[in-house]
Amino acid sequence: MKYTKEMKLVLNRLCLLICCSLLLACSVHEDKLPIFGERTVNGTDTVYHRIAPFRFVDQDSAVIDNGTFLDKIYVADFFFTTCRTICPIMKTEMLRVYEATREMPDVLILSHTIDPEYDTVALLHDFAKRLGVESNRWHFVTGAKDSIYKIAQTSYFATAMEDRTEPDGFIHSGAFLLIDKKGRIRGKYDGTKEDDVNRLIVDIKRLRGEVAQ
Amino acid sequence: MRHLQLSAFGLWLLAIGFSANSCSSREPKFQQYFVEGEQLYLKSCGNCHQKDGKGLALVYPPLSPSDFMEDNMEDAICMMKKGRKGEMMVNGKMFNQPMPGVPSLTELEIAEIATYIYNSWGHEKGMVEVSQVRTALQKCAY
Ligand code: HEC
Repeated sequence: MKYTKEMKLVLNRLCLLICCSLLLACSVHEDKLPIFGERTVNGTDTVYHRIAPFRFVDQDSAVIDNGTFLDKIYVADFFFTTCRTICPIMKTEMLRVYEATREMPDVLILSHTIDPEYDTVALLHDFAKRLGVESNRWHFVTGAKDSIYKIAQTSYFATAMEDRTEPDGFIHSGAFLLIDKKGRIRGKYDGTKEDDVNRLIVDIKRLRGEVAQ
Repeated sequence: MRHLQLSAFGLWLLAIGFSANSCSSREPKFQQYFVEGEQLYLKSCGNCHQKDGKGLALVYPPLSPSDFMEDNMEDAICMMKKGRKGEMMVNGKMFNQPMPGVPSLTELEIAEIATYIYNSWGHEKGMVEVSQVRTALQKCAY
């Protein structure tokens, strides 16, 4: 009698173990990250939405364009230094991304100011220095207002526009966008939410693990 | 058994007594200001100075603790309403980033926030009264 009871227990445990490993196996063999935006099929080729050509200047007055991110994964966002609503949280969270990717030379960060009249190169330089970040890993860029707003809307699908009725004078999304080495959007995260940013950090690792197709 | 239960209950009561004490079991008015102040702080200040008051690098100065805040309560009160620009030294480090004020804050709300921040993170100034806030606001340099 006692023997069968133990048997039952062992069987139960075994079952649990199998279930667990099945679950684990499923989560390990997850699909690749999605590719955002429109796609067109050209014969056998699928053409995906890519970040359009851009050219901005960063906190060191260096020209930053698509070439800067050749063969790099990067995280992009839109902010401005005097914003009091969501940007302080976004910068706190982006700093976590910066710390988490410290040992990843192929991962960069690109923060666009949406208030280029106020956020000059000198101001962004000061801001980045105060944040304590290296300019070759985290670029704070400014440029023509129209081109910043346009790339936000049409390439990154992020909202950025002036609105004098807003408390900060601008409407903008707190999104962090994960861009792969081919300039394609592979993830969109709420840069004001710790959980979402944790997911981004995991996804960066997943993206780095993807073999080049 | 019954004896054990009783003494457990006693311990529990004691623990409650202690924890209430350590959370400053001062008058109910203090408690009310402190609790309201915490909510207002999280809404209007926590984005920059962080929930835990630690600030962000050299961009947003810490309040947890801050020698500037400790020594300049009237300035701090003015800043909440009117903001501040220019350099300032906090705990030996120079900050220089404009802080926007929140003009819509009432004297009561400022007193509540002040009561919260001045009794958190190592600051122990006690109750900040509305009358103190009124006087400070009248004297603001700008
Ligand atoms: C948009 C970000 C932001 C918000 C919101 C904000 N502050 Fe500040 N705060 C700053 C900055 C930046 C400084 C430094 C100002 C300077 O350099 O002149 C500062 C300075 C201070 C200081 C003096 C320096 C110190 O660390 O002791 C106090 C006190 C303070 N803030 C309290 C508050 C309180 C209370 C609130 C909410 C009513 C608040 N702040 C909201 C950014 C902010």
